[in-house]
Amino acid sequence: MSRTGTPATEEPRLTTRRVRRRRTPRHVVLAVPVALAGLISLLVSGNTLRPFDRITTLEARMASKSDYFRDPEVRRLLLAHGLRVDIHRLGSRGIATQSLTDTDVVFPSGQPAAKLILDRQDRSVRSVRPFVTPLVLGTFRDYAETLVRAGVATRQPAPDGAPTLYYDLDMPAFMGLLDGTDHGRATADQDHDGRTEGADTWNGIGYDTTGGHSNSGRVLVRTSSVCESNAAGTYLSLLAFVANGNSTPGTRDSGDPGTAREEVRALAARIRPLISLQGMWADDQADSYLSDLGESIAPLSLLYEHQYLAHQIAYQKQHGREDTARVLLYPTPYALTEPQLISLTDDGDRLVRVLEKDERLRERAIELGFRVRFSGEDGTSARLNAYLRAHAVQVPVPNADRTKSYEPDLDVLEQLITSIGTCPPPDRDAP
Amino acid sequence: MSRPHPGHPRGAVPFALCLALLTALLAACTNEPDHVTLRVLASPELADVEPLLGKLEEDTGVELAMEYEASADLAGRYPATGRPAPDLAWLASDRSFQLRVQDSGGRITRPESTAVMRSPVVVGLTPAAADALRAGTPGGRISWADVADAAAGGRLRFGMADPRRSDTGRAALVGVATAAAGTGGALRDQDVSCDRLRGFRSGQSLTADSSRALLAAYTAHPERADALIAHESELLSLNAGGRLREPLEIVHPDDGMVLSDFPLLLLDPRERGPYREVVDWLLRADVQRELMRRTHRRPVDPDVRPTGPLAEPVGNALSFPDRLSVVQRLVDDYGDPAHGTADQVVFLLDFSTSMRGGRIAALRAAFAGLSGADRTATGKFARFYRGERLTVVRFGGRVLQERTVTVRGDADLRTLDRIVTDGGFDDATAVWSALDRGYAIAAGAVRAAPRRPVAIVLMTDGENNAGLGYAEFLRRHRALGAAAAAVPTFPVPFGEADPSALERAARATGGRVVDARLSSLADAFKEIRGCH
Repeated sequence: MSRTGTPATEEPRLTTRRVRRRRTPRHVVLAVPVALAGLISLLVSGNTLRPFDRITTLEARMASKSDYFRDPEVRRLLLAHGLRVDIHRLGSRGIATQSLTDTDVVFPSGQPAAKLILDRQDRSVRSVRPFVTPLVLGTFRDYAETLVRAGVATRQPAPDGAPTLYYDLDMPAFMGLLDGTDHGRATADQDHDGRTEGADTWNGIGYDTTGGHSNSGRVLVRTSSVCESNAAGTYLSLLAFVANGNSTPGTRDSGDPGTAREEVRALAARIRPLISLQGMWADDQADSYLSDLGESIAPLSLLYEHQYLAHQIAYQKQHGREDTARVLLYPTPYALTEPQLISLTDDGDRLVRVLEKDERLRERAIELGFRVRFSGEDGTSARLNAYLRAHAVQVPVPNADRTKSYEPDLDVLEQLITSIGTCPPPDRDAP
Repeated sequence: MSRPHPGHPRGAVPFALCLALLTALLAACTNEPDHVTLRVLASPELADVEPLLGKLEEDTGVELAMEYEASADLAGRYPATGRPAPDLAWLASDRSFQLRVQDSGGRITRPESTAVMRSPVVVGLTPAAADALRAGTPGGRISWADVADAAAGGRLRFGMADPRRSDTGRAALVGVATAAAGTGGALRDQDVSCDRLRGFRSGQSLTADSSRALLAAYTAHPERADALIAHESELLSLNAGGRLREPLEIVHPDDGMVLSDFPLLLLDPRERGPYREVVDWLLRADVQRELMRRTHRRPVDPDVRPTGPLAEPVGNALSFPDRLSVVQRLVDDYGDPAHGTADQVVFLLDFSTSMRGGRIAALRAAFAGLSGADRTATGKFARFYRGERLTVVRFGGRVLQERTVTVRGDADLRTLDRIVTDGGFDDATAVWSALDRGYAIAAGAVRAAPRRPVAIVLMTDGENNAGLGYAEFLRRHRALGAAAAAVPTFPVPFGEADPSALERAARATGGRVVDARLSSLADAFKEIRGCH
């Protein structure tokens, strides 16, 4: 092993290294016979000219919805339309607040960021909202069961008495666990085991009473950066909605803008600890949650439903069973996110049109766990549910309490976000 | 646009072939990207990926020119200042850097960052040290608090990279400090306002700018430490290298650890194309498997099963603080690991007759707790430690007894215990005369060893009724000048003490009052440990 790569020896190594230039890579050699076979099959199928069409490469900025555009099947379908999408991945609010020069399309994961972007456009733009997905909390069975015992979560019924994948989460009660106090008191013996808990810790609500595991950490939801991510911003809206007595903050007409701002400030102060006690944010919650170390890193993480369902569908395909260790908490009230593909250039317009028209691209979205609205259908769930059922993945049922949390007005949300996160000011140059 | 293959539900076969043809044509003709060399600023411990870089170059045409430099937060390298700017950075952790970006108020652009592998910061112990530690813990589950306790007691010497220079050392420090705060959450400003790691630090016998250099130093001189704090991956590699007489036992502390995720950062956004190629390659299942095999880091790809010792779960991850100021405070307080200075505490203890009975028992218990009897996690961090100088002054209407010890072992702590237990009482309470004497001692200590921090703890259960008045004390205190000005007083009111008078003294000297009547004498003493 060449262990000499210290700065002192760096330069000689660089100069003596043989630089290989434009050697035919191995995959090319392998691909040639395949390509010939492909050419023959294309001649047969009558699509000969398509691969010789010009391929347009779009510069795109998106967050978690890059899951969709990075999917091999979606890429294949787009290539058939002569389109390729190069993705610069960053948070939705990050997209909205940074310069968008040289960008063809953006795909923020939710409406607040989409509105921020649309507000900045001088020209009328094409856009499409191909699907929706609810905000959820991903966790692990023992944690979910601890929350059931703590009286803040309930199991959704599973078919045939199988272990359920889904739980309903009572947000107001759950928020009582997040605030670091026991009904306002700083310390208490919450699970009556004779030891005083300094806060609402997992052990404090009884996680250590089941089966040899222990977690002295606080009950916390791990989120991505409030300053950059749509999921975290939507979660913030949900917390604010509940803390505001199940009503959207900033909607009460007090007649005085000063009073209204003061109310939002007070609300932000109340929910700040629920976010900030987690410490530093972490990007790509779903990647961490779904990784082998998920239970260590993020026993409770903020996700979109599609990320979890896509995992279960893939897991079922690969292992022939559900991943029963990972389970979902559906918050009540619930929050629905609606990603919006926004075109900023003529090439971007082409992608928007393709996504509007190509049914197969939208069908593929279902297979990736999104809820898609088809024309002539009432809701967005029917086809997803059918697909899950057909692929032996438990179907989540909507909670009887369908209270929906709406995002507050943009300026109210911005006030909440910037006062809770420490967010840099938006880059306001023309896109 | 019409659907290209209405007859085939998937249309997969012709299209896959079409794709292959396309790739082949483009590759063979014009669009094969030229060979690209990217300059990468890398954490020194990532030298272990070097053998894979040739394959990366072969597969993608991207050569990574690694420049190894220990860096805690890319300070001075991004945004670039003078020196040639790297295109990418590959760090053990970018958390400190990300906090610096956050604090820049938008002046520094946040680069794209992708986690490549994971490894927790753990402790590797010699088998003897591991056995000794385990024997003292219920259930044999070793925590950071146990490591700190053994270090403070002079029973464990450890090595750790310098948190000022190395992201690995910094992750280790944050892990230990989070455990010391014991809140179950991430560190906040109020959790680091006092330096709770002095006892832990007193056990550090080995350091280096990077953890790679640390491991080399340990391999050369294993007799210099009983334990190393570093990434699990580094310790597994060290054990596998066969250069140690006996492998280190790797312990995942029960109170949690910080996980590093070895992110690859795109510093020059113009290189996004090759950056994506490199990232996609590194995240390929076969590459993830190879990385795991060679470097003992855990894969980020959920489809790659960790094997061998990595199949064991790591336990609970600790959250990193969300404020740069918190990390900075920790690092500053920890100071230079190569030149530790133990501090001195002057305890002024009221032995007026009202202390007789329960109160003196409480005082004795508090001292016993700080001498190692307190087995709570916070107690293990707050205890008296090896090398610390402790002065005990008993007072009534005058100074009754005065004794200074430097803690070298249990015998010294027993000496203190005897003073607290056997001392006689006096009828009067001369609070300000006692504090005046305390400052004379403290000023002398500061003059003798200017780098040694000194603080005074003033415990009293009554009002001043003898000796100097407060005004006279203050005049004399000021006359002592700079040497006394550096020494804060932490009054601990107990029983019938007058908190308002003590409050004034605390304010005048830069300390603060910790009221033992709200908790206990033991808790009050614990709370002010390290607050100077």
